[in-house]
Amino acid sequence: MNALGAADTPPADRRAAEWLRREARLIRRPLLRTGLFTALLALSLVAQAWVLAAILTAGVFERASFAQLWPLCGALLVLALLRFVLNLGARRSAVHGAQQLAGALRARLLHEAQALGPLGLRGNASGDLLTRLVDGIEAVLGYFARYLPQAGAAVLVPLLLAVFIFPADWLSGLVLVLTAPLIPLFMVLVGRAAARASEQRYAQLRRLGAAFVDALGGLVTLRQLGAAERCAARLESESEAYRLLSLEVLRVAFLSSLVLEFFAMVSIAIVAVLIGFRLLWGELALHDGLFVLLLAPEFYLQLRGLGALRHTRMDAVAAAEQLATLETEAAAAPAHFAGATAVRCDRPPEIRLERVTYLHRGRGAGLHECSLTIRPAQLTALVGPSGSGKSTLLNLLLGFVAPDQGRILLDGVDLTECDVRQWRDGIAWVPQSTHVFEGTVRENLLLANGEADAAAVSRALKTSGLAAVLARLPHGEDTVLGERGVGLSGGQLQRLALARALVRERARVWLLDEPTAHLDRDGARELQASIRAAAASRTVLMAVHRLSAARAADWVVVLDGGRVVEQGPPEHLQRTGGAFSALLQAELS
Amino acid sequence: MSRSTVSTVRRLLSLLYPQRRWMLGGAGLALLAALAAVGLMAVSGGFIAAMALAGAAGLAINYYTPAAAIRLFAIVRSAGRYGERLITHDATLRGLSRLRVWLFRRLIPLAPARLSALRSAELFARLRADVDALEHFYLAVLVPGSVALLSTTAAALVCLALLPVAAGVLLLGVVLAGVLAPLWVQRRAASDAARFVLAGAALRGLLLDALLGQAELLAWGGVAAHSRRIEALAAELDARRSRVELFEALGSALVGLCAQLTLLGVLLFALTAVHRGRLSPPLLVLLTLLVLSCFEFIAPLTEALARWSATLTSAERVFGLAERAPPFREPRPATPVPSRPAIVFEGVGLRYEDEGPWALEDVDLTLAPGARVAVVGPSGAGKSSLIAALLKFYPVQRGRVLLGDQPLAALDGDALRRRIAVIAQQTVLFNQSLLENLLLAAPQASAEQIERAVNLAQLDAFVASLPQGYDTVLGEGAARVSGGEARRISIARALLQDAPVLVLDEPTEGLDAHTARGLYAALSSAARERTVLLITHRLSGLAQLVEEVVILADGRVRARVPVEEYLASERS
Repeated sequence: MNALGAADTPPADRRAAEWLRREARLIRRPLLRTGLFTALLALSLVAQAWVLAAILTAGVFERASFAQLWPLCGALLVLALLRFVLNLGARRSAVHGAQQLAGALRARLLHEAQALGPLGLRGNASGDLLTRLVDGIEAVLGYFARYLPQAGAAVLVPLLLAVFIFPADWLSGLVLVLTAPLIPLFMVLVGRAAARASEQRYAQLRRLGAAFVDALGGLVTLRQLGAAERCAARLESESEAYRLLSLEVLRVAFLSSLVLEFFAMVSIAIVAVLIGFRLLWGELALHDGLFVLLLAPEFYLQLRGLGALRHTRMDAVAAAEQLATLETEAAAAPAHFAGATAVRCDRPPEIRLERVTYLHRGRGAGLHECSLTIRPAQLTALVGPSGSGKSTLLNLLLGFVAPDQGRILLDGVDLTECDVRQWRDGIAWVPQSTHVFEGTVRENLLLANGEADAAAVSRALKTSGLAAVLARLPHGEDTVLGERGVGLSGGQLQRLALARALVRERARVWLLDEPTAHLDRDGARELQASIRAAAASRTVLMAVHRLSAARAADWVVVLDGGRVVEQGPPEHLQRTGGAFSALLQAELS
Repeated sequence: MSRSTVSTVRRLLSLLYPQRRWMLGGAGLALLAALAAVGLMAVSGGFIAAMALAGAAGLAINYYTPAAAIRLFAIVRSAGRYGERLITHDATLRGLSRLRVWLFRRLIPLAPARLSALRSAELFARLRADVDALEHFYLAVLVPGSVALLSTTAAALVCLALLPVAAGVLLLGVVLAGVLAPLWVQRRAASDAARFVLAGAALRGLLLDALLGQAELLAWGGVAAHSRRIEALAAELDARRSRVELFEALGSALVGLCAQLTLLGVLLFALTAVHRGRLSPPLLVLLTLLVLSCFEFIAPLTEALARWSATLTSAERVFGLAERAPPFREPRPATPVPSRPAIVFEGVGLRYEDEGPWALEDVDLTLAPGARVAVVGPSGAGKSSLIAALLKFYPVQRGRVLLGDQPLAALDGDALRRRIAVIAQQTVLFNQSLLENLLLAAPQASAEQIERAVNLAQLDAFVASLPQGYDTVLGEGAARVSGGEARRISIARALLQDAPVLVLDEPTEGLDAHTARGLYAALSSAARERTVLLITHRLSGLAQLVEEVVILADGRVRARVPVEEYLASERS
């Protein structure tokens, strides 16, 4: 590895550094204020050293008593109090600025993430990335609250001190000024050498972390297969590998601080010895010598502090890289629906798809030239194998994504020109896998309809079959659902999603993705009947795996590979012996 | 310190016990380095003053000794610090590495009965973070704390020899700055710090809800309300952080103030002593610099203690989890598991919580060796609890389960589970190669055995389609494997386990009809010549796997009929 070549810096790193610089500009004023406090602190330090040197000189040469020196001692006390205030001020303004930035950043980040849209979020960023983004703000906060002020102090304080040290003793000043730049230089050299080891360490840390999460998440399976102890042994060796790599990194990191400490200590020693001999030869006044000696450790203190915060910077750079990536992705995300045409919510609409094409992006199936009509007061079933585009079609109808070509017409009006919020307001939606929000079961239900009364909630609970589930829980509707609905099984979550949709009784459009999956036969039959009855006054589109459910529909659309391969009334399709009847035969045999 | 804190600290220390020599050596080096730093400044000051006096008086002076001492101190300080950090970090990393694996081993017998509240991988990941947070205890509390204690003691001893009253002042200042100020900060910041952590966790939950549940929020029109909740919580979080930071800043500024006041106190007595001729003038300078450099080692303590309660919480969480009692004490010695056993449930009652509803109320069920039985019933009827009891994952509160004539209590859980293969609705695959996943239950399987199992499970086409065949890594959460393929893998895995009992738990649920149909042949080859217990709420396509059907409802067996009779009644 080329130790000095700046070209070694990976582009992602440079982009992260650029991002951090740009953010720093947003809090220039608090940063400048922090710098001012730091400068004042350095000046007070100089004054303090000067007074202390004067006291000591008088004490040593004149054997002056405390009483004779009280004005100087009083000045020392005043300076101590001043430093107390300045210290507080410096830290407060740094934290204040960083916090201000973090708040704005959090809002912006959320906005950007939301701009990706539900599909973009699910496709591009796993839960893991989202978690890292949330933690990323804390990492960036540490950078602005601690690292950046410290970096400022590491430049500012030695410079200011040098201004005062030189007139007192130019030789000591020379020693300090010559050695000080060596410290960052050596740190950079050693840091470069550590970079590769550090990367390996992070890779191993990720591997170790993933292995642990993997093993713990599948602990029951491991026990069931009798493989738990073998897994523990594997974790042991992974953990040991991580320790060895960590140690390798630390060895280099500590070497850099060894260099730092060594230079600091040796130059203080040189300064002390040089001052001592010139005092002996009468070339220097004791006051000046003491003044310089008192300031010498402070000269290096801020540089050392910077070294201690190096990991803060590394964390922030890693976080900034991801935040910058999100920013780029959000900027590239397709624009939202901005239409304003009012949507009538009091009667079921007719929904028509005209040659709708949606290109396959990463996850989720695409659609090709799909034309179909979902008629009001009818039950339309959407069938086809998994991956045929059923969910994509529902996402298009919900306005989560816009068609690449073709149009979706609501009573003849293009969806992209409609007020999409008003349109969604009239929809009851059952997704294939629902997200459960932190909160009680009731709170989760009321999300769909804040005005629902107890009677409406209990109707929804009964029809969805969730009532039977809640009856077995000690807290019933007040059961708290945690992260990802801990405590509910797949089938129970499905019922929750169903109940949530049913609570929105005003909805004239029902979009149901596999509503009867996970339900037992009787439950499925009851729900089918409810959907059938509801369809009399609504526009209902139901995506189903099981074709038996589709036989009760008024109209069936068969999708395969993102194309409509067949549509019509189920009895008719069954008779003609096309795709639908073939699928039905397969299921019944 | 409360009793629980003391016991937590003791347990933290006991984890380091195997590394005690290294830790002590590291602390010793740290002390040496600290003393060298203090010595460097003190001797330099004294040396300068003595040289100045000698220069002024035109006297000869032995400058070799102090000059050499200064250089020695400089080297000892740098090298000592390097060695200390390397050694303490190594010892700590060893300790943490041990702790992680120890914790994992403690968790094994707890799953799933005692971990049900902590089911998600998220919580386990947090646990990993807790273990890492413990690093702080050793590196930021234990080592700096002992260094501060020992180096100030040494400095106080030097003072005591030169000017006893200065030692008193120094100790007073050190106690103020190193003990009282950090404790004050910790106490004042404790409630805000705790709420900061809680608000942080809650905010994280809300943000994840906003991102992962964006589709729901958009569909249900909750985006604005949710954003308002986030803003409110973020404001609280910032306010809490600001207060914690304020106390931390106050604490560290206080340490600085204490240092200056101590210096003034020492000056007061030392100047008087010099004035009265009881202390030689160079020692005045030495004392002054000694006091000043002592506080460099006190300063980190405030920050360390500010994070103390967080560290303690992490430790308590780790130990609290590790010390849960497992649901079973495995019998020693255990009775060998019968090779082709009957499975008998005798009046079995099972519930998951002490006062909770009964999942199994009173189940009597006998499966003769080689019997092939389906258990059907609505969800919540207790089907899965039947398996939980059979696999000895959950204890039964009433009745007993027997394998042959042996009650499960007499059998070793691992040995028992080796005789029962399970194919479940959710196949858990690990982020390892396909081969490693297949061999989980049978690490010794030969290449022919693997080939046979893969063919029977109809997985051969899938293996052939993989670029690296058996060595293909399946990815996090087995993202590269479809639902049907995952279930084929679990069938092959079960075939390799070669157990006399096969449990099928909703093996085709969640698959489309086409994929499900493709699995039937693979399932029937897995079921061949085994006792089969099939759990399902919809028997249709799986009927050929079984001979009899047991109907379960509300935790009781309602009926047991031949499969043809059941299917006939279903069709009517």
